[in-house]
Amino acid sequence: MLDKLMNIDRRIVFILVALAVIIPTKLSVNLPVSVSEPTQKLYDYIDDLPAGATIMIAFDYGPASLPELHPMARAVLKQCFEKNIRVIGLTLAADAPTLANTLMEEVAEENEAMVGEDYVFLGYRPGGTLVILGMGNSIASVFDSDYSGTALAEIPMMENIKNYDQISLLLDLASGSTTEGWITYANAQYDLRIASGVTGVLISQMYPFLQTGQLVGLIAGISGAAEYEDLIDTPAKAMKWINIESFVHLLIVGLVILGNIAFFIRNRQEE
Amino acid sequence: MRRQVPLVLCFFFGVTIILTRFSPHPFSQSFYEEVNSWALIIFPFAFVLATVTLIRSHVTRIRRRSEHWQYSFIVFAGLIAMVVIGVPFGPQHPVFEWLFNNIQVPMDATMFSLLAFFIASAAYRAFRARTFEATLLLVTAIIVMIGNVPIGDLIWSETSSVKQWILNNPNLSARRGIILGVSLGVISQSIRIILGIERSYLGGGD
Repeated sequence: MLDKLMNIDRRIVFILVALAVIIPTKLSVNLPVSVSEPTQKLYDYIDDLPAGATIMIAFDYGPASLPELHPMARAVLKQCFEKNIRVIGLTLAADAPTLANTLMEEVAEENEAMVGEDYVFLGYRPGGTLVILGMGNSIASVFDSDYSGTALAEIPMMENIKNYDQISLLLDLASGSTTEGWITYANAQYDLRIASGVTGVLISQMYPFLQTGQLVGLIAGISGAAEYEDLIDTPAKAMKWINIESFVHLLIVGLVILGNIAFFIRNRQEE
Repeated sequence: MRRQVPLVLCFFFGVTIILTRFSPHPFSQSFYEEVNSWALIIFPFAFVLATVTLIRSHVTRIRRRSEHWQYSFIVFAGLIAMVVIGVPFGPQHPVFEWLFNNIQVPMDATMFSLLAFFIASAAYRAFRARTFEATLLLVTAIIVMIGNVPIGDLIWSETSSVKQWILNNPNLSARRGIILGVSLGVISQSIRIILGIERSYLGGGD
């Protein structure tokens, strides 16, 4: 019996996980979300920016991380457009331009923001750290046109923006190690303020930079995205998904505890 | 000669770029910007190299009839379809966007979503409190997992505070140690490459 419990067929675990996702989805469970300090700091920083300020958002993720990072991007974009903060979007990931551009257009339309005046999407350039360094001197030297091919000189909101000196914040939405690149090259060399929104597996890596103040704030995984949706008072996908994730986490913890109870009983019997 | 020229170039540009960082002189800055532009131009060639390598490796698989060689045709079909539409018409063409949104996005999301099932199964099998260290890891993982979702605070109101303490203290200390170690390693390796002591990037043979 104990051996059976300890070596439970993995297909049963798969079914349990599927049920832990499906049942809360159908029941529409709503658990209260408490806002963590790193998320609150980022929200406050953007909220304190004057109307007309410009921030950059780097969409450094591909379709695999879209469910976790898209809700963050949507929430921050909405906050910016509502406060008349201008947004420059770009990406260092080759598979991100289409999804980033589509999202910016969607949120802009919902908030009546105008392309070229309230936001611009520059697209993708290969080179990673070289792109970050190049924009420190001149954004136009790296991106001579936006994603749709309009020359930067012809875009009204880019008129007085030459390099990082005119940017109030860079928010890196990342599924890899790009945030460290932005901190090392854009923050350390050009004093650009950096914030980050990362997938769950990267959260622990960001804490040293939060403590030193190199990161203004942090949106940590889907829970951070849900907190941000709560802050802008627009519950959306992240709020729904974090409730579902709660039950999956609970199931995994329950399974681990069950496995360990069986492990201890069997050890005691063997002794 | 084939090895000396890259070594000399590496030494020259390595040392010069480091020096430009210590000099605010306009010449130094313009040199730095110029070299950065060269590097940006060179970088896309990596994509050409990657594409050629991908094609060669899959042609070899098909020729040798390696295991699952038939799937290599799907690689070529995907590559050709995206290039034929993407290169002349650009990534904003409706067909390119349709292919991306309806093929690549769901496939990537599916692969990533499967992780949840495998992680649940692996956690159940692997997380056993066999030793003191394993128990410590187990307890920490449970607190962080539960503290990361809203249900944690419903079970115990201090869960998220304890999770935050774990991230702010033990996690931060360990991460900082790793960052310092890695950074020192990167510096020493860079010096070795600039001075020509480390030559593995040149490839094997003389």
